[in-house]
Amino acid sequence: MKNTLRNVFHSPRFLVGFIIFMVMVLTVLIYPWFVRRDPLVSLGKGFLEPGTYVSVYDANNTGTYRVELPEAAEKRLEATLPTEDRQTMIDYLKAMGVDVSGLDTSNEKMEDLLAAWNANYDEADAKKNKYEGFATQAKRNALRRIDNKIKGSNNDVAMSVVRGEGDDATVTTVEGSDYVKVNEVANSVTLPLGTDNFGRDTLTELVKATGVSLIIGLIAGTIATLLGLLVGLLAGYLGGIVDDILMFIANIFTVIPGFVLLILIYYSVGQEARGVTTCAIVIGVTSWVWTARSVRSQVISLRNRDHVNLSKLSGHSLFRIVTTDILPYIASYVVMAFILQVSSGILAEAQLSLLGLGPKTTDVPTLGLMMNWAKLFGAYTSSNAWWAYFPVILVIALTSFSLNLMNTGLDQVFNPTLRD
Amino acid sequence: MAKKILEVHELTTKYITRQGEDVYSVDHVSLDIEEGKSLGIAGESGCGKSTLALSLMGYYFAPLHYTSGEIIIDGKNISGMDPDVVRKTVLGTEVAYIPQAAMNAMNPTRKVGKFIEDVIFAHELKMTKEEIREMAEQRFAKLGLPVDALDKYSVELSGGMRQRVVIAISTILSPKVLIADEPSSALDVTSQKMVIKMMKDMLNTGMVKSMIFITHELPLLYNVTDDIMVMYAGQIVERGTAHEMVFDPIHPYSRGLMRSILVPEEGTRDVKLTAIPGTPPNLKHPPAGCRFADRCRYANPSCKVITPPLLDIGGGRTYRCSLPVEQLKEVYASED
Amino acid sequence: MILPEAGHGRFSVERGHSTMTKGMRKYFKKKIFWFVITLIAAVILNFILPRLMPGDPVNAIVGKNISPNATQEQIQEQIAFYKHQFGLDKDLFGQFWDFIKNVFNGTFGVSYSQYPRTVADIIGGGIWWTIALQLPAILVGWLLGNLLGALAAYKRSFYDKALMPVSLFFSAIPAFGAAVILLVVFAVNLKWAPVNGAYTTGMIPSFSWNFISSVIAHYQLPFWSIVIISIGGQAVGMRSMSIYELNADYVKYARFLGIKDKKIVRYVFRNAMLPQVTGLAMSIGAMVGGALVAETIFSYPGLGMSMYNAITTSDYPVISATTLIITIMVLLASFLLDIIYAFIDPRVKAAQFD
Repeated sequence: MKNTLRNVFHSPRFLVGFIIFMVMVLTVLIYPWFVRRDPLVSLGKGFLEPGTYVSVYDANNTGTYRVELPEAAEKRLEATLPTEDRQTMIDYLKAMGVDVSGLDTSNEKMEDLLAAWNANYDEADAKKNKYEGFATQAKRNALRRIDNKIKGSNNDVAMSVVRGEGDDATVTTVEGSDYVKVNEVANSVTLPLGTDNFGRDTLTELVKATGVSLIIGLIAGTIATLLGLLVGLLAGYLGGIVDDILMFIANIFTVIPGFVLLILIYYSVGQEARGVTTCAIVIGVTSWVWTARSVRSQVISLRNRDHVNLSKLSGHSLFRIVTTDILPYIASYVVMAFILQVSSGILAEAQLSLLGLGPKTTDVPTLGLMMNWAKLFGAYTSSNAWWAYFPVILVIALTSFSLNLMNTGLDQVFNPTLRD
Repeated sequence: MAKKILEVHELTTKYITRQGEDVYSVDHVSLDIEEGKSLGIAGESGCGKSTLALSLMGYYFAPLHYTSGEIIIDGKNISGMDPDVVRKTVLGTEVAYIPQAAMNAMNPTRKVGKFIEDVIFAHELKMTKEEIREMAEQRFAKLGLPVDALDKYSVELSGGMRQRVVIAISTILSPKVLIADEPSSALDVTSQKMVIKMMKDMLNTGMVKSMIFITHELPLLYNVTDDIMVMYAGQIVERGTAHEMVFDPIHPYSRGLMRSILVPEEGTRDVKLTAIPGTPPNLKHPPAGCRFADRCRYANPSCKVITPPLLDIGGGRTYRCSLPVEQLKEVYASED
Repeated sequence: MILPEAGHGRFSVERGHSTMTKGMRKYFKKKIFWFVITLIAAVILNFILPRLMPGDPVNAIVGKNISPNATQEQIQEQIAFYKHQFGLDKDLFGQFWDFIKNVFNGTFGVSYSQYPRTVADIIGGGIWWTIALQLPAILVGWLLGNLLGALAAYKRSFYDKALMPVSLFFSAIPAFGAAVILLVVFAVNLKWAPVNGAYTTGMIPSFSWNFISSVIAHYQLPFWSIVIISIGGQAVGMRSMSIYELNADYVKYARFLGIKDKKIVRYVFRNAMLPQVTGLAMSIGAMVGGALVAETIFSYPGLGMSMYNAITTSDYPVISATTLIITIMVLLASFLLDIIYAFIDPRVKAAQFD
């Protein structure tokens, strides 16, 4: 046993898979200690991109520091003038007849662009000449807006913040060189993975969902393995009619696609009972077949071995024979089967939830549910909110992958012919 | 003096383990066989007899590697030949091999007849399918095998039948040397007899010019082969005629082997049964001196230091021990 | 002397032209038996399970369609009417009979949520779209996967060491994952392929080149996502099988008889493929499941979409019908594969001694 364990942990594939898996499990367990936020609290309306969000209001209340960043002015302009605006400027200048050959929307050319603009743009002039493509009022308003932006981002002009009303109103001036230390700002939040469509912190949600999905996988895997083990043992060892009946049942479960059964059973279970545990149980109850078959074939090859016959002749009870003579030999297969069942359990839950058949719950997110929300709320069709679904897919794939890798490693340990 | 069909001089081959270590499973082995004769090779599991068989084919694949020595079949030196040449001109035509557990030796999804075609075509002999079929049928008939076996799959034949078919296929090109590795170990007694009879017939009718029969069942060789050779830890420890080896072994190991086997043969019923204690040495690091010394009852301290060479005491009899023949025989006589 | 071996006429090759032997016939009988039984069981399950769920769909429909001023009497009338429509006023056996009848004349009754559209109407076209998509996709994936696995097993080099974990990773990506990623990368961002549907919306199905090219364009993404998923799993399995076969005794023996490696390789892969065919028969259920989910991602108008819509609107007759159809399709496919297997594995012909 010790030797087997040593071999197992020396197998590179097993080790890698194990490490990946453990990292995930540990993250799930440790993360809540650091981030105490409730995963289902809504932080905003709709998708927010990953990043750090600082309250502007609180920033104004925080003590300021004077910092002179060398490229502050340029950065300000670059931020204020997006590509579309710059393109508009170039188009207008071109319409005016100005040579725009050396100009483009890049940051390097910003200075030249501004110089050309300041030299040529005049509001009255635009109104009078109605240059091609800029004849409408709307277009001219756009130009004016751009011009104001440019003027407004001038370093020398300060902003005023008004608090209160009327006579009690106080005015604070904010200079371009006023900076606040982000940590000192009362309210800021870092969202490495942004928010989902409900405005919930995706990362926290993801961690929680991984935990839930893992639990579902574990429960489903355990049920499926136990069931499979039981059926396999009985069918393999007892043979005869018992075998025929059990295999008939197994065949039905094989051929009828698992998830069809899942859907049907799930539906008949009813609305109220669709919690996490129900989901896990249902998955477990529909996916035991593979394990049963595997165990059965092993048991069949074992039951005619000498040590088993010896026990039979010695009059040992069925129970004792099975537990002492047969189980130890199939232990390795059972372990591998268990890992596979957990992996497929997690996948099954994800698929179910995606279809809307998963745990009908607003209390806990699962990996599949997050995918479902992403789908329903157009995370990949209308908004390009990759953070709402791509990390989920990655996590699912990694979980499955690490478990399968562990399995391959175990396979190599137990079947030496497969070793490289 | 009959022609020597097979001559092997100081053949050494090694296995290279995954850790890169060398294991010399066949260590400077020399032997020869005359035309029309058969040689049995006996020894414990792991003594190198199967490896020797593989090595004699001249066709090596990893992890088995040829190191040194010569193999001459009917005057042709095949050692060190290019593998592709060996494949086309040696395998099956000069020397043929019958594997252990021939049960599974054939592709389960190919009919016997088709398989024979594959073998013939692989040697690039210009024969048509009809010619091949005819030859196969004749061969089978000659060897007492039913012709319709050619149309069956190996799974459809009984164990004994399968073994005989495999032997027939191996010899279909009438090789000079036939090497059989435990051809009858997995069979029931009746099938064993049929297989052995078939092989002897092949030798007697000249279908094969010589035969090497490998087994761990020493007494079996008594009725089958002319000479017997005993191997231990990669080396030959004794050789003599079948009768000599069974009833009058010289080397302590050969003697130990004979006495540890229950044999209902005439003259051996009064012999006491003993086992040889201990296990063979690890060939990764072969011990100095005589390799059998650790388990030998008659060893003295010098045995573990001096490596005894293979001594020829005339009449084709050889043995490898530092103790003189007379001394050994005396000790044996006192024990019986 | 030629020894007469057993010749119970096992080989009809001598008798006549039929390639069917007693062994095969036994095999077929067994398979057909299982097929029929499983079919019956599937139908029964498909009937019972949805009906076990609590809640009364009739009330839901009546609630939707009734006007606010209706009297209690009128409501009752409505309920009775719908109950009769759906045959819910009969007892369980009566309902089962209806169900069977519906199955056979292909009507499947009427949809609940899209009343009064019939179920057949809703699903009808979907079946063909699904078959057209999944059948080739699964087959191609299976073939490519096996090829890849065989290659990896043959060239046991660095190539293999790197490829194995990679294909393992790909097989770990869930079906919908691949679908979503392909959708986002190729359809939304690169705009190489259309985002949804089987053909441009508004087009009327016809045999015009316009329509067909549109179909082909829409076909690409769902097709390739299913293929990618199938490859990974098959490759890993085939590699293991091939390695196992490559170490078999007959390989060594064939070598010693002088047979070229190339020919031996052909033997090996042919033998390794056989269990893969069986494996396909077994896993086709799961593959279809994954493929259906992929359909929903692409809004591909196949069975997957019908089912998804039915689920979201709790339309039980449609759900029941789709699951039944899917089950039957998978059963048929599995059965066909079993039959094909009998023809390609010569051991089947011989295995059943009488």
